[in-house]
Amino acid sequence: MAYVRKDVSTLTRTERRRFVNALLELKRRGEYDEFVRMHIDFYTSDGEDGLRTAHMAPSFLPWHRRFLLELERALRRVDSSVTVPYWDWTRDRTTTSVPWTRDLLGGNGRRSDRQVTTGPFAYSAGHWTIREGVTNGKFLTRDLGRAAAPIHLPTRSELQGALDDPVYDAWPWDSTVRKGFRNKLEGWGSGTGSASWRNHNRVHRWVGGAMLGGASVNDPVFWLHHAFVDLVWYRWQRAHRTHRYLPAQPPGASDHQHGRVVARHEKLPPWEETPDQLEDVSHIYRYA
Amino acid sequence: MVVGVGGAPVGAEQQARAGAAGPSRREVARGLVASAAAVALAPLVAASRPVPPADGLVGNSFDEVYRGRRIQGALVSAEGAVAARRDWRITVDGRPLHLMRRADGGWLSMADHYTSYRTPLEATRAAVDQIGPGQRLRDLAPGPVGGVQGVPGAQGVPGVQGGHMHMGGRHGVRA
Repeated sequence: MAYVRKDVSTLTRTERRRFVNALLELKRRGEYDEFVRMHIDFYTSDGEDGLRTAHMAPSFLPWHRRFLLELERALRRVDSSVTVPYWDWTRDRTTTSVPWTRDLLGGNGRRSDRQVTTGPFAYSAGHWTIREGVTNGKFLTRDLGRAAAPIHLPTRSELQGALDDPVYDAWPWDSTVRKGFRNKLEGWGSGTGSASWRNHNRVHRWVGGAMLGGASVNDPVFWLHHAFVDLVWYRWQRAHRTHRYLPAQPPGASDHQHGRVVARHEKLPPWEETPDQLEDVSHIYRYA
Repeated sequence: MVVGVGGAPVGAEQQARAGAAGPSRREVARGLVASAAAVALAPLVAASRPVPPADGLVGNSFDEVYRGRRIQGALVSAEGAVAARRDWRITVDGRPLHLMRRADGGWLSMADHYTSYRTPLEATRAAVDQIGPGQRLRDLAPGPVGGVQGVPGAQGVPGVQGGHMHMGGRHGVRA
């Protein structure tokens, strides 16, 4: 029986508490930091050699789908009622709306050092010490909306621009490709400055602090953000039913992307599943 | 010559495209750690002149104070390698900052991972913008060698269908 992932704005008080408590328990056990480390380890940039699985690659979406499932399984071992909620950043767009409430993820970082001081993940609450951070800071940081040079979250129409592309991804399957749903959603634009950060990437920057760095998983909003990205993939699949994950076949030996991206029927490290197997997970969960 | 773990010259990675084995990014990052130690041991030398790039190119280094932090960078390449790949060794207050290249020629840092910058200097300054007051960089280069480095709860957790989830060091695995 498939379980349901809900819009975070619709969670009851009890559902919020149980989700937060399950995260805190994973953190207490040391499991949570494994997830932080894993995300760091699998960030291979496309100007480097080596297989790209999690970012700047077609498998950005199935990799994070599988990563979320792993976290969700761990949460459900703690409390079987818990599922990962999603944050629809086209709807909940202010620094005080959900999920930035005291009973969920807490609020913005303070101006002086970006330290989150409210909610269950504040350092002072005693349950959320950063151990796998980019700096030696022990507290969670945020800079919602980027105070020094404000930016806005991606809009519904900006997201729709990605959803309207019927092709999943296109050669050269990296951060420079202008066509295809995957990079339009992942959000690598060209040039520099504000216009070059789109959709998924732009949300990381809007949250700022820990979410902007390689250790972005330290902020639990990572999971709510990626649950929404995952839902957007599901919506794209429903809108373009004849289109599938690409590339269907591995790039040939003469292609400089040879050995650097995961094709539809290849295993997606570190897991045993293929993108083909991860395209339909309706037997595991669905979105409300 | 900068030597990575395993004795391979840092900067040879580009050769891997032709099928030859090169050092992983992790190994390059290990070189960064070594360079940071060298900076720490010779602060006077570092203060008086920038570390020259290994291939002798002029102008491919920087050494400045940005927002109160000493940032230093030097282009390094492997001696004797054909069409040697170049890497930047970057430090912020003597601590290594790991940069990654983007396919469009831009640069990303561990501190600012969802944006790229035109030059290593711009990426380094942007990283400094993200380091809070009184904090310093930790070495978070991807892919710990030999598994888990001080990760709590590393024994027997998240499990991938019976396996251990921690898969550190899988960079460079080819499909």
